[in-house]
This record gives sequence, structure tokens and C-alpha cells, in this order.
Amino acid sequence: MKNTSFGLNKLIKVLYLIVIVLFLYLPIGTLMVLSFNSSKSMTSWQGFSLKWYKEMFTNDELMEALGNTLTIALWASIIATVIGVMACIAMSAMTDRKRSIFMGLNNIPLLNADIVTGISIMMSFLLFGISLNYGTVLFAHVTFCIPYVILSVMPKFKQLENHTYEAALDLGASPLYAFFKVVLPDIMPGIVSGFLLSFTMSVDDFVITHFTRGAGINTLSTLIYSQLKIGVRPTLFALSTVIFVIVLLVLVVSNFLKGDEEEEARKAAKSGKEYVYKGGMSTKKTLAIILAIVVAMAVAIRFTPSTPGEVGEKGVVYVYNFGDYIDPELVDAFYEETGYTVVCDYFDTNEEMYPVVKNNTADYDVICASDYMIDKLIKEDLLMELEFTKIPNIQFLSQNIRDFMEDFDPGMFYSAPHTWGTYGIIYNKELVDEADFAGDVSWGILWDKKYAGKVIMPNSIREADMVAAKLLGYSMNTTDENEMKAITDKLIEQKPLVYSYANDNARDLMIGDNASMAVITSGDVLYAQEDNENLAYVVPKEGTEVWTDCWAVPKSCKNYDGAMAWIDFMYSYDAAVANFEYLTYAIPNTQLEDYEYEDYIEGPRVLSEIEIVNPPEDVLARCETLQNLGPEGDDMYSKYWKEFKSQR
Amino acid sequence: MKRLLSAPFIIFLLAGTLIPMGVIAYYGLTDRSGAFTIENILAVGTGDHAKALGLSLLLSFAATLICLLLAFPLGLILKDSKLGKKGFMVFIFILPMWMNFVLRTMAWQVLLEKNGPLGFLGIINTPVAVVLGMVYDYLPFMVLPIYNAMIKIDNSLIEAAYDLGASKSTVLMKVITPLTVPGIVSGVTMVFVPSLTTFAISNMLGGGKVNLIGNIIEQEFTTTSNWNLGSGLSLVMMIFIVISMAFIEKFDKNGEGSMI
Repeated sequence: MKNTSFGLNKLIKVLYLIVIVLFLYLPIGTLMVLSFNSSKSMTSWQGFSLKWYKEMFTNDELMEALGNTLTIALWASIIATVIGVMACIAMSAMTDRKRSIFMGLNNIPLLNADIVTGISIMMSFLLFGISLNYGTVLFAHVTFCIPYVILSVMPKFKQLENHTYEAALDLGASPLYAFFKVVLPDIMPGIVSGFLLSFTMSVDDFVITHFTRGAGINTLSTLIYSQLKIGVRPTLFALSTVIFVIVLLVLVVSNFLKGDEEEEARKAAKSGKEYVYKGGMSTKKTLAIILAIVVAMAVAIRFTPSTPGEVGEKGVVYVYNFGDYIDPELVDAFYEETGYTVVCDYFDTNEEMYPVVKNNTADYDVICASDYMIDKLIKEDLLMELEFTKIPNIQFLSQNIRDFMEDFDPGMFYSAPHTWGTYGIIYNKELVDEADFAGDVSWGILWDKKYAGKVIMPNSIREADMVAAKLLGYSMNTTDENEMKAITDKLIEQKPLVYSYANDNARDLMIGDNASMAVITSGDVLYAQEDNENLAYVVPKEGTEVWTDCWAVPKSCKNYDGAMAWIDFMYSYDAAVANFEYLTYAIPNTQLEDYEYEDYIEGPRVLSEIEIVNPPEDVLARCETLQNLGPEGDDMYSKYWKEFKSQR
Repeated sequence: MKRLLSAPFIIFLLAGTLIPMGVIAYYGLTDRSGAFTIENILAVGTGDHAKALGLSLLLSFAATLICLLLAFPLGLILKDSKLGKKGFMVFIFILPMWMNFVLRTMAWQVLLEKNGPLGFLGIINTPVAVVLGMVYDYLPFMVLPIYNAMIKIDNSLIEAAYDLGASKSTVLMKVITPLTVPGIVSGVTMVFVPSLTTFAISNMLGGGKVNLIGNIIEQEFTTTSNWNLGSGLSLVMMIFIVISMAFIEKFDKNGEGSMI
């Protein structure tokens, strides 16, 4: 027999394979290494630690997201497999023409961009008045899993010897019996690979889940995405590593089992005995093992009692908040102090929260929203007034914040601030010319050619525009077309000098010495200094944005007293300290002024002395709040932003 | 009787695919007040959108080509090697998907960042890094169909070609490549379409400097909340999907190049 192989040099072949496998597994190895990093940073290694693995098991949210990921994947792939196999049986009986139409339609979700699939399903649900929840995610997942099942099962039907089925019928088998005994064993490998592929795609999906999930339904993907606001915690790396290793082990083990079986078959052939084909036993084994593990994990997670186990006698308070935006331990503390059970749901951006509150798709008692969004919600009559007699601790709200609130909640009827901060420049003392930061600093430093390729700008419309607007001496809420043009030109001029436009990871990039300076919010500075002591923060002389994220009560509120108790609790000394230590964002609470913070650079200091947290009066005097500009204003900002973005 | 079995499939096809397509078309063809307009579709031709679409086409074309150039020799090697046990290959290429997509792409960011292990390449925040991310994320979708088409080739055909005096290159060009076409076509569409419409990869690896049509669509739905414009641009994207489907229909009628 001639060699049919395509003989390149064997060594080259092996090298090529190794390179490809390395390419595939390099990032995975990186994540595994990071899961043992004692620092929260992704860009600097600060020693070996197992703490993220410990934290993983005590993090209820993470476990719940894992549970959702697994149960959704399990149900979606089971349902998709059943429907897909049924469809294949039906299609195998169709004419070629009809079948090819169906196969074409079947390809749509596969070829369609995830974003289009996700958005189109979401819009259909909203149009038909179905609120987004666990079921809608499951539905979307079934939709995109079915094509994988059909594509892997259909070819098996084509290879099927139709007369064995007919022979079975002739021998008196019922169609059902004949199907299970004759057809099913032959198509089993296709079913198994379709199922496994569906399961994998479902676990891996981010985009479609992102758009179709309801409030409070997180899978691992969306949880990661929602953590981007505060920074992805390495617990997620730890969890992913564990999942990956489990799957790897299962697949390796099942591969060995398969090897044994083939060996057996070969031996049987040698000895002249007839080998009884076991009808895809090995794939069944693989499937059984994976299923067992998944079910066990899902069940374990579902039945792990989350504290507090039972609903408090005073009922439940539903809180809708930015992801990871309070110290999670406060939920239990609140229950112990007041008897209310708190259920937290999360969103990533104000824009994501807005339609949920507007369409009243879920009944939240308390929400957290940024200043300009509060303004919008008030104007659209979506908020209830707060009864401050039920929030006695509001007396501790700092006066300077009350002044800023005049811009979005005049008279302070609807909202109570949770956190606040300024935007400014974080710089690395080692990587900049110290003279540049000796006196007053201008935003113009970000345009200095000396720092080309070393500057990080915000990747969001309003914040990037704010920087240019302040430099040009305009208001950050300008709607003047000429000013917008000037702002856009200024940003385009700066583009070649910018290292990257980043929101979530600007802090991390600075920790890892990847850039000399970045526009960042003050709350991130203390966090960053913890891992890199060369970092410092300055608010430029032209002024900046001051932002406030506030608690508010939507009209959908069912537990008003509970909502008031929650807000009141947030202003208590203990809660304020816990939130500050957890977030390092400034908490507008006068009780914290004397709180001694373990400053990573300067040692213990009281908060009122830390300018980053507590900016001096003259800085605040130069600050402006972001305002809601309405659809026309939004469209204009968006238009100019796109023009800026598409410049190369 | 058998046809009834397709009922649930048809229901999902309708509710999960066709009706949502209709809804996108409805939004795409109306403005905020609900009046009919084709402006949202024509908007793709305006400067910024056209630029983004052009860049998307360029980058996804590059990514697809690289995937093809990587996957074809890989298919040849695997076809012959003992590693080519089917389950194992699928396993190698599917396994990375168990590490979350967002995290995997983030890992490349960590690697490529200026002070990262691969920072010396200097490609972070450039279109090159985005292409790398596309190749990385979608390579399995190219390798598996090509590999599947190749292992289906009957070795006796290749032997016959040699016996008839064909050189290696002739066999490659005249026997193997034509028989791999179904796999190539489905691989190309499976890589091209998601690359064309991605927004997450360009966001994470492009440093916000690489603006693709996917980023614009995503922004219309999330930040700007102009669903009509977002839908209109999505409709334009679907033209490419229809073209891909036509290609598959022409070259891969029997689904031979499926990825499984």
C-alpha cells in the first residue's frame, strides 16, 4: 500500500501541532496563573495565594451564577436535543427540496450574529409584553442550541440503512420499538455530540444571555461582565480554573475508556471471535459521566442554604443595584438588625437599568442610579418621594453633596446618595516628569506629545467629551453644535497619543505600569494605590465632573417601609465603613470623617485628611454634574462620538 | 405522522428566529415615532458607519484568511496522524470554550499589554490585536469543518491518483482540495460572520481605538438607546448572512462540512 499521507517532514508536523495547541491554551494558562495571584490586579504578580479559591466557595452570588449557568445549559441542551432529534426524524421523511429549505432556516441562528439574535429575541419579548426572566434566557438558549443538534444528527440519518428499519417493521416490530432498537443506536453518536456541543455553547454564551436575561438572572458570563464596573475579581478565574480542570479530567478519563473498548474490539477481531458492537457505549459513558457531574454540581448549588435561609417576618426588600456595589455582608447584617430579607439584583449600566424601571418588568423596592439618570427618572415621573422621617440617619449626609444634588434632585425629594467622587488624572510618579505635576495641572497634559502612547482616556461618550470640554473651557453639558465640533476635533487630535480608551481596566493598566497617566474616577485611586504605591491623583485646574450614585424608590415599590429601612441602614456608621472598605469609593457620610483608614502609602490617616476621598472646597467649586440631555442631546453626542471613533 | 414530529422545531423556528427577525425589520424600517423610513438602512452608507463597516470587512477578511491558512495544513496533518481520532480532536478544540469567552479574551489583553509577557510585540490596541483575537476565538469553527471534510475523503482515491502518476502537489490541488470545499465554505462563513459583527473582541483588544460596525450597533442599543438605528444596521448585517447561506447552499448541499 502506498503512503497516502501528505508527507511533510514529521518534525515540522509535530512542531506545527504544538504551536497551534500552545496558541489555543496560552490564555487559559494565563488565567490559571492569575487565579493564584494574591493581588486583585490582572497586570502585576504579587505572590502566590489560595485566597480566591476560598472566597469562591463563600460567595453566594458566584455560586448562584454557576448554578444558573449549569441548569440553563442542561435544560437548554436536553430540550434542544429532543426537539432536534424529532425534527431530524421528520425531515428524513421529507422531499429533498423541502428538507433543504428547513436546513437553510436551521442555519439562520448559527450564522446570525449573536448580537442580532440576542437583540431580536429581546425586542420580541418586550413587544409582546413578556418580561425578561430565567425562562426567556432558557428559550433563547434552546433556540441557538437546536441548530447544533440538527447539524450533528442529520448526517447520521443520511448514513442510516433504511432497510434495517423496514426489516424490523416486517418482522413485526412496532415503529416506536424499531426506532429505539434499530435507528437510535446508529444515530446515538450524533445525538451525543449535538448534546455536548449545545451544552458547551450554552455555557460559553455571553452576548445572547446578556440581552435576554431578566433582572437578577446572572450566568457566569454576565456576572463577569457586570463586575467590569468595579473590576473583575480573581474568584472568577479560580472558578473557571476549577470548571476547566473538571471538564478536562472527565474528557481525558472518558477518552481512556474509549481506548479500552477499541482495544477490546481489536483483540476480539484477532482471536477470530465476533466482537459485539455495543452501540456507542463509550460515548454514552462520556455523556453519563458529564451529566452526572453537572447534575451533582447543580443540585449541590441549588440546595446549599444561602443565608439567611428563610424570609424574614417583615418580608423582602428587592434591591436593584450596580454589580458589586455594596459590601455583600451587609445583606445579612441588615436582616439581623431589622428583620427584612434583602434580595439583590444587578445591572451594569444606568442605561440597562432604565428600561427595566420604566417598563416595570420587575417590582423593585430600591434602586441605585447615577445623578443624570435620577434626573431623567424624576422627569418621567418614575420615582416615589422619600419620607425622610423614616430615614433618621440622613442627618449624616455631607453638606457639599446636598449642594450638588440641586442639579438633579432640587430640594432633595427623591434620592439619597450612596457614593460619590470626582474625575481626575491618576499618574505614575516614576513614569512622568515630576515638574509637570508640581503645580496646577491642566487637562492639556493629556495632549502633551511627550507622553505619546502613554495616556489612557475614558471609553465612554460623556466622560471623554467632558475632558475635552473642560480643556476648551466649555460646560460638559453643552448642546452647542459648534462647541461639540471643537470638542470632537480636540479628541481626534489627541487620538494618536492615546495608549487605549478604557473604563473598566484603566485602573489595572495603571497598576501594571502600562501607561503614565489615565483619566479615572477618584474611588478607584485608593484601590490602585494598594497595589502600586507610585500612583497619585490630581484634579486638573480647569475643573471636572463630580458624580453621585443615589438610592431611590421606583413607583413599583411594594415594601416602602423596607426600602426606607434599607436606605437608613446604608447611612449607619457600620454600613458606611463596610462599604467604604469594600469599594474604596467615597461615602458621603459625616460619621466617616474621623474614620481611620489604613492608607497604603501614607499609613493610617483619618478620611477627612485624604484629599482623594474628601476634596478641598476649591476643587469642588470647579466641579460640574452630568446632566440628562434628552433624546436629541443623546443623538448629537452619539453622532459626534461616532465621528471621533471612526477616525484612525 | 412523522411530520408532526417537526412541530416543536417549527414553533421554535417561528418564535425564536423568524418572528424576532420580523421585529428587527419592523424597528429597522421605522423611526422613533413609529413612521416608516428607510433612513436607518441607508445610514450604513454615511461616513462614520461606512468607515466602520469597511474596517470590519477588512479585519474579518484577514482573520478568515489566517484561520484558513492555519486550519488547512492542520487538517492535512491530523488526517494522517494517530491523534486524528475524531473524539480527541473535537475535544482539543472545544475544550477552551469551557473557559469563559469574556475571560479568554481578557487573558489575551493581559498577555499583550505593554508590560505583559507578549507586550514586546506592541500590537495591543491596534487592529492587529483584534485580528488575533478573532483568529483565536473562531479558529475551532474553521478547523473542525475542514478536518471533518478531510477525514471523509476515501484514501483509495488518493492512492489511485498516485498510481496514475500524479505528483504530490497535483493530488493536493486536484483531489484533496476540491473534496474539502464543503468544509472550507462552512468554515469560512462560520469565521467570517461572527468576526464581522463582533463588539466584545474589538472593545477588549482594540483599546477602544478600533471601531467596528458591531461596536456601533451595540452602542445604539445600550448607551444611545436608538433601537431603530441599531435595528437598521443589523438588517444590513443580515445581507452578509444571506450571502453566506447562499454559498453554503451552493457548495455544501449535504451538510458535509458541518463542524461536528
